[in-house]
Amino acid sequence: MLQLSPQVSGIMLTERHLQIFVALAEEQHFGDAARVVGITQPPLSQGLRRLEALIGAKLFERGSGGVELTAAGAALLPFARRALGSIDEFRQAAVARDGEGPEIRLGLAPEVPPAAGAAIAAACGTALPGSRVTVVSGPTSSLVSQVSAGRLTLAVVLHPAVLDGLEAGPVRLLPTWALVPGDGDGESALSDLGGLPIAVRPRAEAPAARDLFLDTLALHRPDGGTVVVTDDRAALAMAAAGQAILVTADPLLAAPGVGRRRLTGDPLPTRLRLVWSRTRTPFARPADVMGQLTEALS
Amino acid sequence: MNAFRAVFDDAGVRGWLHAVAIDRPDATIELDSDAVVPMASVYKLPLLTAFCRLVDDGVLDPRERLTLDPASRTAGPTGVSLLADPVTMSLRDLAVSMMTVSDNAAADALLNVVGLQRLAALLESFGLQRTWVRRGTADNLRDLQRRTGLDNADDALALLADNDRTTPDGVYEAANASASSTRDMTLLLRQLWTGALLSDAQTAFVKATMHRQLFQHRLASGFPHDTIGVAGKTGTFGSLRHEVGVVTMPGGDAYAIAIFTLTARADFRQPRADATIGAAAQLAVNRLRRR
Repeated sequence: MLQLSPQVSGIMLTERHLQIFVALAEEQHFGDAARVVGITQPPLSQGLRRLEALIGAKLFERGSGGVELTAAGAALLPFARRALGSIDEFRQAAVARDGEGPEIRLGLAPEVPPAAGAAIAAACGTALPGSRVTVVSGPTSSLVSQVSAGRLTLAVVLHPAVLDGLEAGPVRLLPTWALVPGDGDGESALSDLGGLPIAVRPRAEAPAARDLFLDTLALHRPDGGTVVVTDDRAALAMAAAGQAILVTADPLLAAPGVGRRRLTGDPLPTRLRLVWSRTRTPFARPADVMGQLTEALS
Repeated sequence: MNAFRAVFDDAGVRGWLHAVAIDRPDATIELDSDAVVPMASVYKLPLLTAFCRLVDDGVLDPRERLTLDPASRTAGPTGVSLLADPVTMSLRDLAVSMMTVSDNAAADALLNVVGLQRLAALLESFGLQRTWVRRGTADNLRDLQRRTGLDNADDALALLADNDRTTPDGVYEAANASASSTRDMTLLLRQLWTGALLSDAQTAFVKATMHRQLFQHRLASGFPHDTIGVAGKTGTFGSLRHEVGVVTMPGGDAYAIAIFTLTARADFRQPRADATIGAAAQLAVNRLRRR
């Protein structure tokens, strides 16, 4: 039991107090800790003051660049971590008992290979036992606005993309292959691929990622041009018809009469990233969960 | 303001914008204009204004000379920051180098003379409620090194320019940086242009210096005609690309414009994003002129 000082006996210890304590200990910086907890700096400072008043001891010394744990803070930190862990377990147990479970709405950009999309959807279910996972696919720009609007819980989108203040996980690079007319697999330099245009999806779907792709393409292969296609299905058909080259991160996409070439040096990787909203996530520790989900991508 | 959002979306940038007719403060264009954004080298404009006010007040002598030693001055891609030997300049010439080529060494020297606390008090007295200069460029680079865990400022900046790596948390957080809103910046520009903040002599100095802005690839790129005057100050740090300034049309009507952007791509060189600042500014001026 905490020894309450009389003037603060009305204050209750909450999960938020512990989150603030642990985040400040880990980040050693008010702005960073506030971001981790998902609040702004003033309530973070106020929360810390209340917690310190509650326990009657200073937890941090404010230094020039940031904050450092006091001896009391260092002694109490392991208990705060353990308490937060127990609250997480409690929450998971409660979710597991609930037949309906929370809903995770996952968005997948069309550039996500089907097997990778399936793996991440499965990992969502594992990360939040008892949850119902629904999946939609759509262009990066549309997925980002749907996550912003709260219609999606999280999405796998092309990087780089304008994220409008959403949280984002690490960038995952998937290697790509060129699917070219004719039989035979092997490896080619991008510059050695014949004079056919490269099939690309519409620019408006993901302007920044598409421009990066096109600028890199122009660097390695100044001739040959591009042709806009609606999706990989159309691109594959055009490759089979001898009209275009398709660059894809999907290791399984194939058709008779279409050869698969590993691109030397992997100049055109598909860059993917998980995005979610700071304020609307069902995960108690989103950064950890998103890290695990990102692992599932490869 | 969907037209402006579309311009920024198409360029792959997040954009913040405020534009106002200098002589008609109720004629404005706004896009997230109260959002507080790290302002990068745009901080040199409030610093210049504060410096000029201290000159007006007789606190600082603009002819006072400072010697900037290469061992201790701030690194950067332009101006005195580039030079190998000690340079002695007057305060007002440091201000010119700071504004025209965004000289980091000159700016930090001037910031040191003005002082962060005195600067903060002056900005408050100018009515800027969402603007604070937290530190100069040297300390900004030190903060970046701390966040990236890299010893060398060039390596840390290279990390920010890598499309394959994740930007460390907090680098583009306004709470961790010198920051402002686009509305605050046009308020400052409008007060400068109407002579509300400084003497006639210092007002003329600010306007002339800002018209000598060397970088023409952002705001000025939207006004490809020599009869249009463009005075500006850029800001660049990692994926942040800003410019704030005043565009004066041949008829004399003038518009204060502040545009902040955060590009999705990480590359150092992003001509499309730079030109988008000009395109958005041109769109804003055209709309304000019609009103």
